[in-house]
This record gives sequence, C-alpha cells and structure tokens, in this order.
Amino acid sequence: MVKGIIAKSLRDALELRKDSTFVPYIGGTDLMVEADENKSYLFLHQVPEMKNIAEDEEFIRFGAACTFTEIIKNPLSPMILKQACRQIGAPAVRNMGSIGGNIGNGSAKADSALICMVTDSKLRLASADSERIVPIKDFYLGRKKLNLNPDELIIEILMPKHGLENYYHEKVGARKALAISRVSFAGIMDIKNGVIQNNATAFGAVSDVIIRLDTIDNMLIGKTIEEAKKLRGDYIQAIGDAIVPTRGRVGIEYRKDVCINLLKSFLEVSGI
Amino acid sequence: MANEIRFKLNGSEIVYTGNPSMRLVEYLRGEKQLTGTKIGCKQGECGACSVIMDSELVNSCLVAMGRVNGAEVTTIEGYSKTEKFAALDKAFESVSAVQCGFCIPGMVLASESLLASNPHPTEEEIREGISGNLCRCTGYNSIVKAIEIAAEEGSGLW
Ligand SMILES: Cc1cc2nc3c(=O)[nH]c(=O)nc-3n(C[C@H](O)[C@H](O)[C@H](O)COP(=O)(O)OP(=O)(O)OC[C@H]3O[C@@H](n4cnc5c(N)ncnc54)[C@H](O)[C@@H]3O)c2cc1C
Ligand code: FES
Ligand code: FES
Repeated sequence: MVKGIIAKSLRDALELRKDSTFVPYIGGTDLMVEADENKSYLFLHQVPEMKNIAEDEEFIRFGAACTFTEIIKNPLSPMILKQACRQIGAPAVRNMGSIGGNIGNGSAKADSALICMVTDSKLRLASADSERIVPIKDFYLGRKKLNLNPDELIIEILMPKHGLENYYHEKVGARKALAISRVSFAGIMDIKNGVIQNNATAFGAVSDVIIRLDTIDNMLIGKTIEEAKKLRGDYIQAIGDAIVPTRGRVGIEYRKDVCINLLKSFLEVSGI
Repeated sequence: MANEIRFKLNGSEIVYTGNPSMRLVEYLRGEKQLTGTKIGCKQGECGACSVIMDSELVNSCLVAMGRVNGAEVTTIEGYSKTEKFAALDKAFESVSAVQCGFCIPGMVLASESLLASNPHPTEEEIREGISGNLCRCTGYNSIVKAIEIAAEEGSGLW
C-alpha cells in the first residue's frame, strides 16, 4: 500500500484527495503530535497554489499552506492577523504550522481561525470536480465537525481587507509561549463619522467551536457612539446569555467571566 | 506527484524511499546516527529535537519524512562545522551555559535561527527566540547571556 504521497500541483492534490484514506498534511504540527506511522498523508506543502499571499479589490487571499511565519512577514497581512500569529506556539511551531491546518483541525482554540471568524473571512474549498466559497462561520458545524466533503481541501482563505484597523485581540492563557489559549478574544470596531459601520466579536476556546454572535453584534451597527453607550448594558447581557461554555472544561464560570471582561475592555478601547 | 523523497541533509543529497509517515527525528537518529538531535517529548513542546529546515528552526519530532521532500536540513552535526557554531560554542562555554547538555544542540540551533533573522536581538527577543526550547538545568539566564555574547563577539557573522 502506498503510504503517503507528495502533491506538486493543485490538480494532483485534488485527484489524490479522491482517495479518502489520505490525510491532508501541511505543517504536521497538529497531526504529528499523535503521529501514527501507519497513516497515509497527502503532503500539500509543495502545492504552489496553496502557498500564495495575494490581494484583490476586496480580499487578502492566503493560500492554506502559508505558515504563520510567512503571514507575519508578509506586508499584505492585516495587523490583527499578524498579532494573533505572533502569539502562536514558539518559533518552531510558527515556522511549520499553517493557517489552513489551523482551520482544518476544527479546534475552538485555533488562534488564526479566531481572526478568520471575527473578520468574516471566506474559505475556498475545492474537490477535483467542483469548487465552492463558504463563509468560515458556516464551516464549523460542531465539535470537530466541519462542512468539508471527504474529497475536498481548503485551498485559500479570503480575508476582507477593509475596516480591520481598529481591533482588539487578547489571549488569556497560562504559559506565554506554549499554552494553547484558554480563552481568546478578538473584536473589530469600525467607526466612520461617529457612526458604527461594523462591530464584530469572536471568542475562542470557550465552546465546541469559536463563538461568533453576529446577530447580537449587529445591535450596535448603524448607531452613534452615544446611542451605543446606551445599549452597552443590554449588549453585554445578550452576549453573556448566549455564551455557553462547554461543560466539563476547567472553570466554566471563570471562562465566561473572562469573556465578558474582554468584551468590556474591547468596548472601552472603542470609546463605548 | 512523487513518492521518492529527495532532500539535502547537512549538504549531502539524500534519496529516501522508506515510510513517508516516519518522523524526521527517528530517521536522523536511527538511520543516520545523527544523535545530536535529541528526543524529549515528541510533542513539539521541548525543542530538544530542533533542526534547521530551509533556514528555519523546526521540531524534527513533528516533521514526517514526506514533508522533508525538497528541503535542506541541517542538524547540529552539520552546523558544528561552521564559524557561527564556533562563535556560539565559545560564548556558551564562557558563561558556563551548559550543564547536562541535553537541550544544548537545540538551543544552539534556536540561537542560529534567531541571529540569522535578527543579528542584534534584545534580551526579550532572545527569550522569545528560545521559548520553544526547554532547559531543566540552567534557569536560562546563562543561555540568554551566552547568546548576547555570541551576537556581540560574532558581530558580522550573522
Ligand atoms: C507546541 C505546540 C504549540 C502550539 N500552539 C498553538 C497556539 O498557540 N495556537 C494555535 O492556534 N495552535 C497551536 N498549536 C497547534 C498547531 O500548531 C496549529 O493548529 C497549526 O495551525 C496547525 O497547522 P499545520 O499546518 O501544522 O496542520 P497539520 O497538522 O498539517 O493539519 C492539521 C489538520 O488540518 C487538516 N488539514 C490540513 N490541510 C488541510 C487542507 N488543505 N484542507 C483540509 N484539511 C486540512 C489535517 O488533516 C489535520 O486534521 C500548537 C502546536 C504545538 C505542537
Ligand atoms: S522531542 Fe521534539 S519538541 Fe520535544
Ligand atoms: S543544560 Fe540540562 S537541560 Fe539544559
């Protein structure tokens, strides 16, 4: 039996992906922790279409196989994403770990996925016969459950490039360098001429999937700062009610308190 | 599409036809007797297995052989033939930064990787640069000092 194969082009990769016994492999920093020599990997690190970082009118497009180090170094990467990537693991993990693997592992702790969520990024998914673009929020279906067919791969991440300047990002964890975050938060507030154009928040490592409560966040959109200040209490309450931390995890109440405190800090720095 | 794995190891061309799912660290130690690369945790947490791959520090316990295709790998054995190594070695010795020595090959390669991208790092940058390399003996201060000295004395090398 063939044990592992190296794809050299996107077409190769998608053809090979038809055989679902191959596990997609980019950096291996998740897969190799529980390495199993009997697994067959589909190595994607040499697929040129998955290594690009480019921009168009609307999006910065990150190839799924771009490493955190590459993202940090690239001038096109938005600051909010760079900041989150700088706090991932230690240098060796950032050198190998990729944004596509971070999303593909389905973890609610994934730090770059948190930024993809708060920015309402889209994923380009492809199989040998078809292609689709999915908002990242619709990609996470539940604990380790992804909206990804067995013959599909994540090819690219499309991150909206406008309105990301005013952000707030915090990762509350135990040890700085190595701890996978216990609670992480990202918020974006885009205010023009005193009116809120966009308010987006995302909470990581609290529940089965990264939490993105866009309907509640929308309460503040279209409001002036003064109006938003009046809604502040109701808004925080609504978010608090909607966050349901996963049972059985350490310190459920503690996690929820941290979430609310981070949300309050975000509102404060945004002048609300 | 390829099933033969080609890469460079300490300057030599290698064609590997074994299991692509094998960990690089096992290959280095088992098949190449390059035992300067240590195994601590096999979880990416300790950095004892650090090698340089395409000019970047990586944990060889988290690298499957298939991932090595097309890459250039340098282990401590290859690196120890360089002038930069000599500068680091001297600096580590000058402040007695080596105790049991288990973490040191990884520390030296982490230092190389740091200095290659940042020849004059601050103390904080040094600590960040070696943050994936655990040392249970020294408490890190002497290692940080050694890297500061290497950066100064070896100025121009990086
Ligand atoms: C010591 C250590 C510290 C870490 N610290 C952090 C941290 O602080 N924050 C954090 O978020 N993560 C952390 N991680 C986890 C890991 O580094 C990241 O999740 C990383 O982004 C994984 O990327 P990768 O390329 O290595 O993924 P891989 O291990 O190659 O793959 C991860 C998963 O994604 C799937 N996959 C890969 N490519 C595709 C594709 N194209 N399409 C669909 N599915 C795909 C794989 O099959 C696998 O299930 C840490 C890991 C270690 C070992
Ligand atoms: S053995 Fe690889 S990081 Fe510990
Ligand atoms: S010198 Fe003993 S582990 Fe660092």
